[in-house]
Amino acid sequence: MSTAFPPEAQERAPTAERLQLTLFVSGASPTSSRALHRLRDMCDRSFASGYDLKVVDIYEQPDEVVSRGVLAVPTLIKELPLPVRVLIGDFTDEPRVLATLGLPTPKADSATTEG
Amino acid sequence: MTSAEVDDPDEELHSWLPKSPTGIRGFDEITGGGLPAGRPSLVCGPPGAGKSLFALQFLVNGATRYAEPGVFLTFEEKRDDVVVNVGSLEFDLDGLEGDGRLMVDALMLEPQVVDTGEFDLAALMVRLAWAVEKVGAKRVAIDNVEALFAAFNRPALVRAELMRLFRWLKDKGLTTVITGERGAGTLTRHGVEEYLSDCVVVLDDRVVQDVATRRLRVLKYRGSTHGRNEYPFLIGAEGLEVLPITSLGLNQEVSADRVSTGVAGLDEMLGGKGVFRGSGVLVSGSSGTGKTTIAACFADAACRRGESVLFFSFEESESEIHRNMASIGLDLNGWVDSGLLQFHCERPTTRGLEDHLAMMQRLIQERAPRLVVIDPVSSLARGATAFDVSAMLMRQVYYLKAAGITAVMTVLTGEGGLQESITNISSLVDTSLEVVILSGFGERNRGLYVLKSRGMAHSNQIREFLLSDNGVDVVPVVIGADGVLTGSARIAAESAERANAEGVILESEELAQALRRRRETVDAHVATLRADFEAEEGLTQRLIQASEQRQEAVRQDRLAQGLRRTVKGSDQGS
Repeated sequence: MSTAFPPEAQERAPTAERLQLTLFVSGASPTSSRALHRLRDMCDRSFASGYDLKVVDIYEQPDEVVSRGVLAVPTLIKELPLPVRVLIGDFTDEPRVLATLGLPTPKADSATTEG
Repeated sequence: MTSAEVDDPDEELHSWLPKSPTGIRGFDEITGGGLPAGRPSLVCGPPGAGKSLFALQFLVNGATRYAEPGVFLTFEEKRDDVVVNVGSLEFDLDGLEGDGRLMVDALMLEPQVVDTGEFDLAALMVRLAWAVEKVGAKRVAIDNVEALFAAFNRPALVRAELMRLFRWLKDKGLTTVITGERGAGTLTRHGVEEYLSDCVVVLDDRVVQDVATRRLRVLKYRGSTHGRNEYPFLIGAEGLEVLPITSLGLNQEVSADRVSTGVAGLDEMLGGKGVFRGSGVLVSGSSGTGKTTIAACFADAACRRGESVLFFSFEESESEIHRNMASIGLDLNGWVDSGLLQFHCERPTTRGLEDHLAMMQRLIQERAPRLVVIDPVSSLARGATAFDVSAMLMRQVYYLKAAGITAVMTVLTGEGGLQESITNISSLVDTSLEVVILSGFGERNRGLYVLKSRGMAHSNQIREFLLSDNGVDVVPVVIGADGVLTGSARIAAESAERANAEGVILESEELAQALRRRRETVDAHVATLRADFEAEEGLTQRLIQASEQRQEAVRQDRLAQGLRRTVKGSDQGS
């Protein structure tokens, strides 16, 4: 992988690649905005080293939808680090999201953060 | 519209309900024009029944024949697989995609998707809308919706999303084919049919005694009547082809031209001219009755007229037929060499019924023969139901009739359950000949009669069908005291009759002669008697004369004596 990492990310997590995510949302639907909010929150908490999140509105960029084979909304694609993982839903099941993304699971913390 | 809707109670509905022709031969006939235009239809059935093909054919025909571009959305195969899978058919998906008349959107559903909460399938509609807009689609096919249930494992949600999708398709006025897999006891595994109430088509692929037969049924067609039967269909080079027996138009051109059967005696039985060109001829009989030989005679006669012949043989190889026919003086080899006659020999078990049909039609189209022989059709029917057989034959007969090709089909009778199918078949053909075995006097002989022959005077007699080194002939049988006489009994009867006739002539001559002789004898007798009589008469006359002379003499004497006495007596006084 030839991705250039910011120096502070390399310092904090030298073995890990920077997290690259693509989230497909449908405009400003309640489910989509809830999902976006939760994802940001989770990543900010658990991956402080930094991450790239690309948000695709399916109505704005339908060709992206077609090329990526997206059906469900919201869909989150973890592009990097490999392997590519696909998550769907509004991230209610936080431990599952974190495990799939390879993020550390908060120990005593409750899964739900906010609505 | 076709004759499928003879008893159409919704004539009004039917006439205004717009329909989208699928271009699938037969299907548009049974539905009176195709699928409901601008609405989604469900095509369901078990795996491998031909659902995807139905969907694709609907799109390809739409793009190529009806100027209606289409979108094919599949969850089942990769795009390349779709193209490859229809490669054997005459579908040019790449070409159509290049022209922008078709779009294949193959979406492999990821099995390892992690479900983390609430979601919807808004992107499904987005991508469909994107594709529809891109090609200006009027038609859409989604193959197959069950995959969505499998991929997301949330039946309620998927169902709700599909309802939304169907509504959207309807709003957009897209004529859509949705395919679904048959479930246990339901049309589709997840009850999608509940939301697709406009038109439901059920495909089936049943294996009956090792032979697969495909069937199609229009289960439901809101606002329109339709053929309600189960129709056999086949998959040929052009894709699906439904065989709508009941709606087949009976309007083919007929020929009054007659062609020889190749057997003089048989021609004679058929009004002296043979069968109609382009008619269906059925030759039935039990094993070893010479059905193939009759068929070969037809072929030979056609070749003699310079007409090309296609001979389908399902029991004998070409060389066997040549050898067997050579034994009765028919040289078919020569016709093969000259290119007029072509054989196609194949074991009946190599394909299913519908494949055979498709293969035959393909060859017939290629060769464009004037006469087709199918020997025997009954072996194709092995394992199929009576319905299938008569359906297949009906299709074949009508197909050939429409093309003006004379069809000679042989049927082996006496094969148990086939009897019924043969009864059905014989009503389809124009001329039906039956070879029967006439046994008696220690022999089995072949008798041939015309079971029926439409539109011509024909003999009602059973005649003896003879196979010899010099060929085939049909001769009148002799009716003896014990019934119909054939074979050596006939020959014996014939010669006895001949002898008898000769005897009668002889007898009358003898009698006449005897009479003549008797007359001569009688005449001779009469002559003798007369001669005797004459002799006697002469003698008697002479005797009478002599006697009279004597009497006169006596009288003269007495007179003389008296005179002397008178002179003496007068003196003495007395």
